[in-house]
Amino acid sequence: MEQRNNKLGWLFTSPYLIYSVVFFFVPLIWTFFLSITDWNMIKPKFNFVGISNFADALQSPNVHAAFWNTYRFMLIFVPLVTVLAIGVAVLVHGLSRFKGLFLIGFFLPYLSSGVVSALIVKGLLSYTSPINTALRGMGIDIDWLGTPFTALFIVGLILAWKFTGYYALIITSGLESIDKEVYEAAAIDGVKDGQRFWRITLPLLYPSLYTTLILAFGVTFGIFTEVYQLTGGGPGNATNTWQMEIFKQAFSNLQSGYASAVALLASVATFISIFIIRKLLEVWGKRNGWV
Amino acid sequence: MVGSKRHSGARRFVRYALAIVLLLIMVYPYLYMVLSSFADWSQIDKMLIPTKFTTRSYDWLFNGGDTGITRPWLHAFMNSIIVSISSTVLMMAFGVMVAYALAKLNFFGRNVINNFVLFHMFFPAIILLIPTFLIVQKVGLYDTYLGLILPKAVSLWAIFMYTNFFKAVPQVFIEAARLDGASDLKIMYRIMLPMSKSITTVIFLFLLMERWTELLWDMIAVKSDSMLTLNVLLSQMFGPYGSYPGPLYAASTILTLPIIIMFVAFSKKFKEGMQFNLK
Repeated sequence: MEQRNNKLGWLFTSPYLIYSVVFFFVPLIWTFFLSITDWNMIKPKFNFVGISNFADALQSPNVHAAFWNTYRFMLIFVPLVTVLAIGVAVLVHGLSRFKGLFLIGFFLPYLSSGVVSALIVKGLLSYTSPINTALRGMGIDIDWLGTPFTALFIVGLILAWKFTGYYALIITSGLESIDKEVYEAAAIDGVKDGQRFWRITLPLLYPSLYTTLILAFGVTFGIFTEVYQLTGGGPGNATNTWQMEIFKQAFSNLQSGYASAVALLASVATFISIFIIRKLLEVWGKRNGWV
Repeated sequence: MVGSKRHSGARRFVRYALAIVLLLIMVYPYLYMVLSSFADWSQIDKMLIPTKFTTRSYDWLFNGGDTGITRPWLHAFMNSIIVSISSTVLMMAFGVMVAYALAKLNFFGRNVINNFVLFHMFFPAIILLIPTFLIVQKVGLYDTYLGLILPKAVSLWAIFMYTNFFKAVPQVFIEAARLDGASDLKIMYRIMLPMSKSITTVIFLFLLMERWTELLWDMIAVKSDSMLTLNVLLSQMFGPYGSYPGPLYAASTILTLPIIIMFVAFSKKFKEGMQFNLK
């Protein structure tokens, strides 16, 4: 019979419990409270406005943009990062030496600050940059950050650059856990080399793929630094994100009540989307007999 | 299998060549940043690989060049170190304590707290941003180190990772140590932590990296120049230094190098730890 140790248990968990009261419970309730007021962060007085903040937010083109852009970023970022990460993992896994070194190399972009990657991309895509000069030589003249689709694509590309190595690490350990005998057995059963990847590797990789996909989908709900630094949400609203919108409304326009309503809408959208994505991934895995 | 040996040499070469090319493409942006920070100003953002070099950008960063504007970047660098190290150490220490209690102590309310951690993890941090700012302001921590550190003193992810790891440690170790008269603090410090070296490295590096590159909170939690962290200062330099990309690349290099050095120094343990926590 294990002995009970109530005092020590509460003592060790107390830092977290205090933290969660101050930085979770109170803010959570406060957000709900703010969202039904018109408080502007400066005036001591405010009015209760009921659900009008939510009604305004639901009609705001900025909020619509943030909502849809999340899924646009998904469409660009998730396939890109998944293919790249699987590619890197399979490539590195097939190497006989320096595997770890290569993986670490591919992981390095993950350590960059969004500010830094935005700066580099700005330099590489400036009007006089070598890339644009060369493209103009071929008759292609693109204003990368001033065109809605390319601006969106570039933010997606930066994120893919950042996360590829991280996800490749996860997929590599999935690859390493696949037993070599499975391949031998499959060869005997007549699975051709060309089918090997699709019929054996990919299904057995499903658990690590599931992890990376969930992580990758999650990333698209929290985009801030790259967009803030590179486009400010523009051109128009082409790259606006939830975090960007909340930040702008709360700390530039000082509309804390309205911004709280947007934040609550953002979390509802996040909850529901992630829930649906999880379910879809599970159904997809089950239907293929991968789980 | 006949002939596979003959092919394998060529195949291996292609694989390595491909891996190296892909790796070069992936790390090229860093290379571009470092080279541009040392490039002659006539070549910055005009050549993919500059050929003429100078330390002028760093001189500008330190001395302000002919704008005469000196930004407190060295101070910001120190701020980044102070804030990210203290935050990370707190997140680790609290993570270990809470995880030890949840994984190895039998106490009233353990399941409730355990489930609560999972519930808490589920919430997107963005809904808490505005009230957290207001709380920090109300208790007088606005524009102070504590205001930067305390809201980021607990990491649910660290608690989660450590709890899973500690659960795998056989209870026998702990019972034996207890019989020898070791206190729980001593067990944590002498048994749990040494056993968790590689996963500790992973958690430490991820937390440090995230704190080091944090923009949003560091931007809204302070206002005075002396409190800026390096990442925020760099972000602000986009404006006044906008027409001087050289110093920006220099500052970026200075921001990026410490974290890469940290990471490379721990890379072996990091890889071990990653493998553990993914299996």
